[in-house]
Order: sequence, then structure tokens, then C-alpha cells
Amino acid sequence: MNNCIVAFCCEHSAYPAADLAGKLKLHYPENLRIIRVPCAGRVDLIHILKAFEKGAAAVMVMGCEGGACHHMTGNTRTKERVKYCNLLLREIEADGRLVAMFNLSPNAPHKFVGAVNEITKRIKESGR
Amino acid sequence: MNKESNNVLVVGAGISGIASALELANSGINVYLLEKEAVIGGHSASFCCKATDVCSQCSACVVPDKIKETVSHPQIRLLTNSTIRRLSGELGNFRVTITQKLQYIDQERCIACGLCTEVCPTDPKAIHPSFAEATPFSYVLDEELCLRFKGEKCDLCRKGCPTKAIKFKGESKEQELSVGALIVATGFDVFDARKKGSLGYGRYPNVLTGLDLEQIFTREGCLKLPASGVEPRNIAFIQCVGSRDEDHDYCSHVCCKYAMKLSGLIKYHNPDARVTIFYIDLQTAGKGFAQFYEEYKENIRFVRGVPVEILQTASGELEVRFEDISQGKVCRDTFELVVLSVGISPSKESWDLARTLGINLSDNGFFAERDSMNTNETNIDGIFIAGTCQGPKDIPDSIAHGIAAASKARQVLTESASQRQGNQGRH
Amino acid sequence: METKIGVFICNCSGTLNNIDFDAVVKKVVELPGVTSIKFISPLCLEEGKKKMLSCIREENIEKVVVAACSPEFKEHVFREVLENAGLNGHLFSMANIKEQCSWVHEGDVTGKVVELIKMAVSRTRLLQPVKMNNFSVNREVLVVGGGFEAINAALQLSRAGLRTTLLEREAVLGTGTTELENLCGFDINAMVMEVKGDENIEILAPAEVIETSGKIGDFNVRIRKGGEEISRKYGALVIATGYQTKLALESKLKSDVNIVSQEKLCHMLEDPELRIRPRTIGFMLDFADENSRLPTLATLNNALAAKRKWGSEVYVFCKNVKVDSERIERLYQEARDCGVMFLKSDVSPKVAAENGKIKIEAKDIFLGEDINLTCDVLVAEECLLPAEETEALSSILNIRRDSRGFYQDENVHLYPVASEKKGIFFIGGCRGNLDLSRVLTDVSSVVVSIYKLLSSGNILAEVERVKVDPQKCVACLTCIRICPHNAIQLVRVDGGKEVAEICDLACEACGICAAMCPAKAITFQGYRDEEILAQVETIGES
Repeated sequence: MNNCIVAFCCEHSAYPAADLAGKLKLHYPENLRIIRVPCAGRVDLIHILKAFEKGAAAVMVMGCEGGACHHMTGNTRTKERVKYCNLLLREIEADGRLVAMFNLSPNAPHKFVGAVNEITKRIKESGR
Repeated sequence: MNKESNNVLVVGAGISGIASALELANSGINVYLLEKEAVIGGHSASFCCKATDVCSQCSACVVPDKIKETVSHPQIRLLTNSTIRRLSGELGNFRVTITQKLQYIDQERCIACGLCTEVCPTDPKAIHPSFAEATPFSYVLDEELCLRFKGEKCDLCRKGCPTKAIKFKGESKEQELSVGALIVATGFDVFDARKKGSLGYGRYPNVLTGLDLEQIFTREGCLKLPASGVEPRNIAFIQCVGSRDEDHDYCSHVCCKYAMKLSGLIKYHNPDARVTIFYIDLQTAGKGFAQFYEEYKENIRFVRGVPVEILQTASGELEVRFEDISQGKVCRDTFELVVLSVGISPSKESWDLARTLGINLSDNGFFAERDSMNTNETNIDGIFIAGTCQGPKDIPDSIAHGIAAASKARQVLTESASQRQGNQGRH
Repeated sequence: METKIGVFICNCSGTLNNIDFDAVVKKVVELPGVTSIKFISPLCLEEGKKKMLSCIREENIEKVVVAACSPEFKEHVFREVLENAGLNGHLFSMANIKEQCSWVHEGDVTGKVVELIKMAVSRTRLLQPVKMNNFSVNREVLVVGGGFEAINAALQLSRAGLRTTLLEREAVLGTGTTELENLCGFDINAMVMEVKGDENIEILAPAEVIETSGKIGDFNVRIRKGGEEISRKYGALVIATGYQTKLALESKLKSDVNIVSQEKLCHMLEDPELRIRPRTIGFMLDFADENSRLPTLATLNNALAAKRKWGSEVYVFCKNVKVDSERIERLYQEARDCGVMFLKSDVSPKVAAENGKIKIEAKDIFLGEDINLTCDVLVAEECLLPAEETEALSSILNIRRDSRGFYQDENVHLYPVASEKKGIFFIGGCRGNLDLSRVLTDVSSVVVSIYKLLSSGNILAEVERVKVDPQKCVACLTCIRICPHNAIQLVRVDGGKEVAEICDLACEACGICAAMCPAKAITFQGYRDEEILAQVETIGES
């Protein structure tokens, strides 16, 4: 998968934030692939692991701010799933930090770009 | 029921106008949503998200959602760049004349491609996007910068526009609408802090208003001083600028909340920053806010009493003079940035609009409600008020007030229609 | 036979100049399922939409991919084109090649564009249509509570043509209104009479809810009234149970001194037979509870009344005066003008009984002095708490409460009156501390919210967008437990097996259940595992 970053973006928060980043002509690495989901809560372990299986460098799950999820608990449930995925990665001696959950609001394009840059930094640190 | 008497005109597409329009449209009523600016969302669209690790309940993220729903709703017709010229008729049968400013850029055709900005020869560009969060996301032409308005024959943007959305000739358009009821939701003006000269707003670059700070966060994503670009470490907020004084006998409801939430955001980005809030009474009541205050209390210095004077020192720092009540003497403290928590003032246009529509103003300049228990109704049947044009409100209260106005409008429309049907039956 | 997918590409009038569209077309043509590629620009304007429509019709396209700007603001535009062409609006994906590709990267992004289109095509191949249907709903509403807001809501709902039941715990209506609220001329007794005379309103009192099930448009409510249990059906529920107050008092104070509540003081003020008028009155405010909007209002009103009626000396000890409601700042000024003294301090004053009077030791920040005061009457601070039945009723309804125990989760998307469960609403004091004008706003809001749902008797909704496969379901109840909107329930299917079933009306299509289901029995059209994985697998193929 040529070291892509796969980002599952909630259509209520991260996806419009990414659009706004575009409108503001902010820049982020080209290897980001955004998959739109109706809620971060839809993202299952299999989706994240499949991305790694296919060679993704990192996976981001992006949902609404804690306490402001459109579906009340979607972001917190996925956060737990992402934590579990961290453990799984560590168990196979991969860098667990390469899968991460980010929370942001639809009007936070800078936070979106910041998150992408953060994960890019982690990829570099892990030596991939 | 004839069709027109079932239309409603919502004046002002800020958050409460949008809330009204959506609620009416979802109840099956056709809505004209009138907005004097080119974009909808009003003040609320320019606020930044103030979440730290958790949501701080500022409601700024509710706005883009509602805007999206409004733009795509088949029963809402947006009329941007428009104002009310005349009104006649009565409940169930108003005739409203509206004027749409000459639009140099046709919003329906503009696809925001940016070619016009590229070819525009002026600096700064005369044709540019209104702002990034703007909806509809289209471009605007600044008459003061455009060479055509200086007598030159520049035609570059018009020629370059791939969708032929730009035109220079034409007149403002007038049209008449028939509606059953009106909801006025024209919002507020931010208090002009220049009026408090001793606080130095407009004179000192590092004295900002709360709204300026919001816009810095929206634009930059973090706090930077506009003049130098450095991140300030010592910040003061001054509360009640333009509220609770001789000229404003009301509390603006929002300033304590936004000042504390912005302080929380500043501390989140930079835990070493020192934040001081000068206040009269802290307004910490409200759902989901009291518990935040408990957190803020730990990290923010609260000083009772509002400073009256700010001076800039030779090094560019701001010296705030205030009365330390516990010691009973005047103290001085210096800050890198002083934020004036400006309040909500009645909109400058409300006087004209009140005359056009025939509705009353209260003595503090907001639209007057019929009585204290009918805050949505005016002295004229069928004209309702919603949101901050009636008095200060935060975003959730504005939305609630907008929905309530929609509820009232729907009710009178149904009742006047059934009454008319009853009358027809008798004839 | 593979369905025919049409790909429409728009270069936004040639502004996406870091994309080589000829190369894109060459690559996309090879994708399985793609039968036609059209390059139309700008696609979103009338002429573009017309071309798109005629192309779909002429080439018998069955599914559509649009590679253009963000779906955020244009999805509905293109979906409309599909529907005009007679296609199901769900057989459609967008590849965001503008905001999330061309605009954020410098240099040539042709490769990424191809990949984004590939991802969209691979998803679209798997998409299935989702039908819409009109679901009939019950037009009756249950209002729980018998206070001011409940009565008001019932009257307005009835005026809007919806039959309403008012259910109150107490035997009489209107008792729930506490003296903290100044009803500003509202005559609660007249309103009770009006409710009783309204043939559209049924009153159940004293009665309580013991069980609810079902979903919006079809709630089943079991009610205990008198000794018997009755079962009713409603389309929507309004909770308006109000709040209760508690005096913030040190318990060691003797009961023979005059420490009273706001309500008691009101009665004293109205009592024509009161012999001794208190000469000095103290009020406590805002020390124990930050949420003191209503107590502030009551304090200001009562302090003014005592000053005017009795000419007493009135002292208000407080931390902050909460003036962020309509007209309170004016009332506060008026009180000060009349001579009510406000003494502010960050620490709570010491209160002790002495010779039948109350001694108060306080510090005033503005005077910078210690103050010793002896009062005839002390009005204790009142804290607002959720009404007694809140906890029980919220677990009956299976809805979340906020951090202070009031109804309605602290989530900005629910404000003003919604709950996480469609068809259940909260108004007034039961969802937090609201002054009267905010309460009235709540009442109006809930009326239109319910009207738009129930008035026509039908709700148009998607059919089985999220669906449980009864063959796979093992009735582990995970989905029922975790659904944030309570849209899932257990039903018995043919053969006696119990399985989870998703109610189309209550479902908000978040997909949390689909992710959590251990048996993978839940599918979410448009976001099925296959569809998401198809996108994931396409990434980086080229």
C-alpha cells in the first residue's frame, strides 16, 4: 500500500474539517487517504487491521470531540477499539502508536492538519 | 389555504434565523431566508471550537451542521445580499418588497474556482473568497479595491471567469414576496470597544476583543499576537466591556462563558501561559458549565473588579491599572495581551428595520417583545422576533428562541388559515 | 452481469490544474464495472446537471460516481439528478478530488485522483438501493408532569391539534410550581381550569409511569393509576417533571430560630395576620451551588418585596450575582436603588443562633472589613436538584442524565429539548435550571418539534438501511445495550427464535451497532464491511 495513511473520518466532524483545510489551502502529506464514515463508531477493528495488512503506514480514526458526538457514544466506543488495536500492534512488535484516535470539531481545520502531521512524525520515528 | 399565506419570511440568516427556517421547512412550510450579507451563518459561523480534551460546550460545531442542512433543504429559498424595503398587509397576507444588491458575482454560478483572484491585478486582491467557512462558498468583489470603480477599464476577472458569473453592469433587483408571517432574526452587533477609549482598543495592537481572539483561533488554529506573531504567555481578560454599565443595563450572557472557555483553550495549548480574568460577577450558571468552572478555578487567576485604564509601556507590554479590592489600593500589572470581553449590542440596522416593519424597540435598543412572557411576539400580529435581536443569548439559547419563534409562526398561520376558511364557508 | 457504473469527472472549470485528466480517464476506463466516463465541467451548474441526466438515461447507467468537490455541500445536488433519472439515490459515491486532493497538495496529484476514483468505484460496485417508506405514527402525546411547563405544553399541543395526556404524580395539578419562580402574572389556577375543560386533554392524576417500550410514533406506556395498571400508546413523550430545592444549611442550627426558605418568606410576605415584621433580613446566595439563576431571581424579588412591604433592612450575602437572564440586571439595580445591601465574598459566612436571632459573621470584599450582623430572619440558600422521580423515570425510559443528575445528556447537539432517543423530549426545570422565559421557549420548541413529527400521521423514512440478519443474530443483546438512540429491540420471529430488530423510524444510521455486533449480523447499507473494506483494499494498488 505504499505507506499510505488511512484516515476514517466522521462525516459530522473530521470530514468537513478536512474540507475546510482544503478551502484554507493548508497542506498535508499526499499519502493521506480519507474514508468517509457516518460516525467514528462505525469503524471496526477489521477495517483498521485490513489497512495494515494491505501495507498502510498508519491508521487514523477521527471523530467528534469527546462529549460532542452526534451519536452520543460513537467516539468513545471507537477510542476503546483503537486502544485495543494499539495492544494488538504491540503484541506483534509493531509500533502501537501508528493507530490513533483523534477528536476534532468540523470547524477545526488546523487541528486536522496537526493530527496528520503528528501521525506522519510517528511514522518517521518508527522508522518506516 | 392559498399557497402564499403559508410562506414565511425569515429575516436574517444567523443561527437563530437558520433554526427558525429549518424548523418551519421541516413542518412543511415554505421559507424565504433573507440575509443582508453574501454568506449565511452570521456571527456564529465565525466562532472557533473551544474544546480541549473534551468538548467545552461552546456549540460552535452545531452551526456548520445547521448551515449544511439549510443550504440543501428544498423548502428553504436563500435570498442573500438582500434587505427589506417595504412591508404592507397583515397576518396571513403580508406583502414584502425586498431589494437585492447588485451582485457582481452571481452566487448560483460561482463555483469558487479562484481563477478571478489569480488574474486580479490589484494588491490586495479586489476579488476574493469571502472567508473559508463561508456558506455559500463564493467570491466577493471589493468595490474599494477594484480598478473598475476607480475609472479604469479592467476586465480581467470577467473574461477569466469560466462560468460567466461576473458582471459589472446591472442594477439592484427589487421583488415582492407574499408571505403569511415574518420572523425577524437580525442578530446583534459586537460592542464597539473603541468607545471605551481608556482601554486602548484600536490604539494598542495587543488589545483585542473576544471576537478577534475567536477569529485568530479560527484562522491560525492557535493563539498568536497579530502584530508580532509570537505566542503570548501572560494574558488578561477584562469582562463586561459594553455590558452592565451606565449605557447598558443588561448582562450579555455570553462573555463570562467565552472568556473562560477561551482561557481554557489557551491553557490547553500552552500550559505555562498565565491567564487573569477581571470580572464583576461570574456568570457560571447554565447546563454543563458549572462543572467547567470548577476546573478553570484551579488554573486561572480571577480578580474581582474591572480595570478602567490600559497603557502601553515602551517595551510594548500593556500595563493594566486596577483596584485591588482586598488591599484597597490601585495596583498595576503588565500583560502581553489584553482581551476585552465585549458584549452584545443591538444591531445598528434595527432602528431602520423597526421603522420599516412598524415594530417597537425596547429602551435598550433591542426589538421589544409583546410582554415579558411572549418573548417571540411583537406588537404586530404575524411578526415574530428570534435570537439576539430581542436580547443577548448564547448559541443554544438562540437556537431555542429561533425554534420557538417558528413554533409561534406555524401556529398563527394554521389558525388564521382555518379562520379564513371558516369565513369563506359562511359567505 | 455487472452493473453499469458511470463516472462523471469535473475539473471545476479547469482550476484543478495539478491533475492530468487525460491520464485519469485512461486509468479509470480500465476499472471493472465502469461503462462510461464523462468529463463535464462545471458539473454542479444547471447545464452540467442536464448533461449528466441525459447521459445517465442514454447510456442506461445504473450506478454513479462523481469525482468533483466535497460531498458536504454537493451530495444532495447530484443525488437529485440520480433520482430525476429514476435511480435510487444511494447508488452513488463521490470522490473528493478538490478540497481533499487538488487544493491541499502542491505538484501533480494525478495518481492520488485515480486512486480516489478507484476507491469510490470499488465502493459503488457493492452499493445496494435503499427504499423510502411512509410509516404511520400515533398522533397522541404523553406529557409527564403537572407543573407550569407541563400544563402549558399540554395546552399548546392540544391547540396544535394533537391529543394529549397529562400525567401527574400528585392528585392535583399545578402544585409543582415552586415559589422560586415568579410567574409574572401567569395564573396557574386558570390554566389548570383550562386544561380540565379541554376535551383534547386527558388528565391522569395521581398516576405514574411504570414501564415504557417502543419507539417514536409508537410508544407503549404502562401507567399505574389508583390501584390499577393501564396500558396506553403514544407517538411522543414529553418529560416536564421540574426540579426540587434543598436548603443549604448547617444542621446544628437550632430549629427555633427563623431560618426560612424563599417559599416560607413568600408566605410570610403575603400573610395579613403576621404580627411582627422582621426588621433585619439576611439572604444567602450562590455559595453552595453555582447554578443559582433561579435562587437569584427569587432573592431579588423577595428582597424587594420585604423592603417595600415591611421596610426591613435587607442584606444579601453572595459570591456572585447571576444576572444572565432576561431583565435580572435591572431587577438587581432596582434592589440596590431601594437600599438592599449586597455583600460579596468568596467564602461562605458563618451563621450561628444567638438569643433567638441569627448572628452572621461575614467578610465583604469591597469594604474589606469583617461584618457582624444580627438578623431576625435568615433566608437560606436553596440548591436546585433533580426532582425525586428523575432517577427512576430515566431508567424506565432508558435515557441518560447530565452530570448533575438532571435529564438530558450534556451534548450540544441535543439542545434545546431533544433527548438521544427520537420522540422523547425534555422541557423546563427537569433538564437544568431555567428561568421562566427560557421555560416558555422550551415549551414552544417542543410543540413544533412534535408537530413536525406527528401532525401528518406519517413519517417518511429509509427502510432497512441498517438491518439485522435474523439467521446470524444470536440475541446476545450487545446492539440493544449499546445503541445510543435505543432503536433496537428484541422480537420473536417465526420458529420462536428471539432476534434483535432495528426500528427504521428510530434509527439514526450511525453504524455503531454494525461495528459492535460480534456475530456480524448487522449490515449498514452504504457502509457495510464489504464497502468499507473495498475502499481500504483499493488504497495503494496503483
